Amino acid sequence: MSDLEFDPLGTAGRLDHREDHAPGDEPVESAGHWVANANLGLGFSVILTAAAFVLASTHLIYAPAIPVALLVLAIAQMGVHLVFFLHITTGPDNTNNVLALAYGIMVVFLIVIGSIWIMSHLQANMMPMNQLMQMQP
Amino acid sequence: MTDHPLPAAVETVRRVREDPHRLGHRGHGHGPVEGAGHGMTGPARKRIIVGYGFWIFLLSDIVLFSCFFAAFAVQRGATAGGPGISQLVEMPRVGWETAALLLSSYTCGLSFAATNARNLLWTQIFLLITGLLGLVFVGLELFEFIDLASRGITPQVSGFLSAFFGLVGLHGLHVTLAGLWLLTMMAQLQVKGFRPEVVHRLICFNLFWHALDIVWIGIFTIVYLMGAVA
Amino acid sequence: MFGKLSWSAIPFDQPIPLITSIILVLVIAGTLGLVTWKRWWPYLWNEWITSVDHKKIGIMYVLLGVVMLIRGFADAIMMRTQQAVAINAPGYLEPEHYDQIFSAHGTIMIFFAAMPLVIGFMNFVTPLQLGVRDVAFPTMNLVSFWLTASGALLVNVSLFVGEFARTGWLPYPPLSETAYSPGVGVDYYLWAVQISGIGTLMTGINFVTTVLKMRCPGMSYLRMPMFCWTTLASSLIIVAVFPILTATLAMLSLDRFFGWHFFTAGAGGNPMMFMNLIWAWGHPEVYILVLPAFGIFSEVFSTFSGKPLFGYRSMVAATLFICIVSMMTWLHHFFTMGSGPAVNTAFGISTSVIAVGTGVKIYNWIFTMYGGRVRMSVPMLWSLGFIFTFVIGGMTGVLLAVPPADFLVHNSMFLVAHFHNVIVGGVVFALFAGLDYWFPKAFGFRLHEGWGKASFWFAFFGFWITFAPLYILGLEGMTRRLQHVNIAEWRPLLLISLAGVGILIVGALCQVIMLVVSIVQRDRLRDDSGDPWDGRSLEWATASPPPFFNFAILPNVEGEEAYWGIKVKAIESQRLSEEPDYRDIEMPVNSPVGFYTAVFASVTGFALIWQIWWLAGLGLAAAFAGFVVFAWRDVHEFHVPADEVAKVERARRAQREALLERIAAEESVPA
Repeated sequence: MSDLEFDPLGTAGRLDHREDHAPGDEPVESAGHWVANANLGLGFSVILTAAAFVLASTHLIYAPAIPVALLVLAIAQMGVHLVFFLHITTGPDNTNNVLALAYGIMVVFLIVIGSIWIMSHLQANMMPMNQLMQMQP
Repeated sequence: MTDHPLPAAVETVRRVREDPHRLGHRGHGHGPVEGAGHGMTGPARKRIIVGYGFWIFLLSDIVLFSCFFAAFAVQRGATAGGPGISQLVEMPRVGWETAALLLSSYTCGLSFAATNARNLLWTQIFLLITGLLGLVFVGLELFEFIDLASRGITPQVSGFLSAFFGLVGLHGLHVTLAGLWLLTMMAQLQVKGFRPEVVHRLICFNLFWHALDIVWIGIFTIVYLMGAVA
Repeated sequence: MFGKLSWSAIPFDQPIPLITSIILVLVIAGTLGLVTWKRWWPYLWNEWITSVDHKKIGIMYVLLGVVMLIRGFADAIMMRTQQAVAINAPGYLEPEHYDQIFSAHGTIMIFFAAMPLVIGFMNFVTPLQLGVRDVAFPTMNLVSFWLTASGALLVNVSLFVGEFARTGWLPYPPLSETAYSPGVGVDYYLWAVQISGIGTLMTGINFVTTVLKMRCPGMSYLRMPMFCWTTLASSLIIVAVFPILTATLAMLSLDRFFGWHFFTAGAGGNPMMFMNLIWAWGHPEVYILVLPAFGIFSEVFSTFSGKPLFGYRSMVAATLFICIVSMMTWLHHFFTMGSGPAVNTAFGISTSVIAVGTGVKIYNWIFTMYGGRVRMSVPMLWSLGFIFTFVIGGMTGVLLAVPPADFLVHNSMFLVAHFHNVIVGGVVFALFAGLDYWFPKAFGFRLHEGWGKASFWFAFFGFWITFAPLYILGLEGMTRRLQHVNIAEWRPLLLISLAGVGILIVGALCQVIMLVVSIVQRDRLRDDSGDPWDGRSLEWATASPPPFFNFAILPNVEGEEAYWGIKVKAIESQRLSEEPDYRDIEMPVNSPVGFYTAVFASVTGFALIWQIWWLAGLGLAAAFAGFVVFAWRDVHEFHVPADEVAKVERARRAQREALLERIAAEESVPA
């Protein structure tokens, strides 16, 4: 729908601070800005990825801490991707995008953490499935 | 009610002047509202609507992945006597897969810069590289699966392997479909040029490709690297 | 060649499905014949099947929902009859047929009756209330509808080709795995729900975007009518949880088709994981249904009390609270499955807490009526019946939220009574209220008041007479889904319940009569004003039925209750607002892509159910081809010239002006 037609205030469609931005979209900047942005993103990602692979294949740090370190690196890298490739910022024009993202993250955590918690409880409380099946007539 | 000549309207006029109990109706009640997305400016432009709608779709897609992640986490130990995660991981291959996908994310970002500059040639070149890197990724994954199958490691063996193949395969399927979309997109761009709706779709494709890379970060960390140290 | 499909799939030996299917086929053939005979195809094709108008899509959704509601109700009648006669006797339905009926009843009622009805109202009302011309993605909206319709078609095909699931409305493994359900029944369930689920997900995306990005100027968040808020909350839940359904059913399909071990009993499969995931979708699902219902009640209470909604902001807060917390309660559906006290306690508490949000809403509705001029029209009767019914249903729900109590009555008729209490009392009552409330907006004439009231009273008492005995039976230990019972003492209660169903049938008949009578008397029931109920939100600002572009000029909202403000201003100044400059309007063009999607989705679904792989591949290839062709289209919109807009709008203004004059005349008469 073309929306410029019926705008009594004459403000719709003008890109100003009152209007939202779409995620991944930032039409006001020049191409050079985005090349620099992508270069930065690539740099950070390479460093973080390399660090993760090095940690996992060597004994640089205390072994039981490796999973936590890997998770931290993964989350950092996801952040890098969000900022440099998906162009999510904290500006007011991005409020809706960030809120939606936060909502999505909440749902993901509820499902993953909730499932792990619930299922580990079941695992601990119930007899193993093969014994359970033997109880069936 | 229908027999009455002026039912609702007369009721209205008798009540408009008083309209009691406006309890809790303050603040936004009067005057213009300022601020992004608060409705001041009327409906957003198509570009924003399309981008935001696709953003919401991406979030739902991530939720889809999270279910497979949850299944993987829960069934990680359910090997039923079959091979465990540490017997599946081959670090060099995962490294190459990750490199291909990461680079493709970068070239995808460059294609977006070229799109913003309305440079058809460079947009197409970077999209092509992106697609080729995606192909390399899918190819490596396919070889991995064939390799595993030749060692008798198939999803039919155990709950753990079902969850493993489910999660990694779902991501591979996404990349494959994204590649199909990419080809369609390139053809469309060539034929139609930078028409607004084509640019909208390029934005969406960018988002999708980057999101798949983010999912891959989760997979190579949680499935492969943690599997290697397990 | 045809996978598992053969002539033995047609139930020649079972008279009930065979006769039903023959009748159904005759009815469908008759309808198609009539349409062809009367040459209605061009009209149907151009005005409905390919229409991207949100109002028409909404009406088609409601129509689909009503048809499926009747189908599900027929299943319910058969179940209650069976249980009433099968006491120490086999009854008239064999166990495996009875199992299919209760599975189909639940599946149809939730996925193909309640969901289309709720989404239908969201479609019809939300853009009108937001003061815009369409949803964010009109063509996708059409595709969503046709995907839902394809799912409904597949469920009904199972009646005469093959069988339906015998596993309940959620196919719990290991029963639903190939080892115990080798037939195609579960596959029918999986693919029908999968296809319609994708349609629902698209609807959710569409409405989140619509509400957040498509509002008329000045319509800030806290000026949106309550129904829009509930649409937003419900769509947010859809976006968050329908992917879970897709994932879970996909895992079960992989188990069934390729012998994977997500949920199998053995080889490391974990059936409990299915319960966990499916209820992570299933519990929010009931809030997807009930939140828009709450929205409908909010509109009705406010309009028919002649007052703004009491505690609007607390209502918004409660809606969003429910939206979030609904995703944190799912374990209460399997308290008895063996989690430890910590898990059960946490989810018991979260389940009780969600009732607080609902409680806030109930009080707000009651206070909305307080001090208002309450009109007891049909929508208001449904709403009052809802408060009574829903509060009791909610309280039995709080009982079930206490794990020790749940251990006693879980999977019993008490549970059956509870969830019918909240879903019928909450959702179905809301849909009838909404039907009566918005019908004049959609068609330009009211529904007959007397038959509507009769229908309400029969439905209300019929409901309670049907389900109150089930509470007692549940407490006495009757479990759900019993094909026969052998305790003779339960006979009186089961017979009372059956009698209740009889009263419900009368209520349903009253609805049908109401429709027929209203259509016959449509000239007498005509609504010229566009505002038959003295409404407060923007859908009443436009004509009834609204022009296809909804608003000639998008309204500029200056406060809460947008239309009420316009109305007050017009009546006080005794004239309408200045006539604006009319401009050309761009509207999306109709598209056959929805119907095309329906065809290939049904074919692909059917092929997957019967494992006709070449046909499934063909269907998917056709899907991709359709996608490419659709993406290549050049014309997205057409212009409505300003002259035409002005002509339509001036007709509406003339009506309103006449109304104002009549009001002025009335006012000037000294009381």
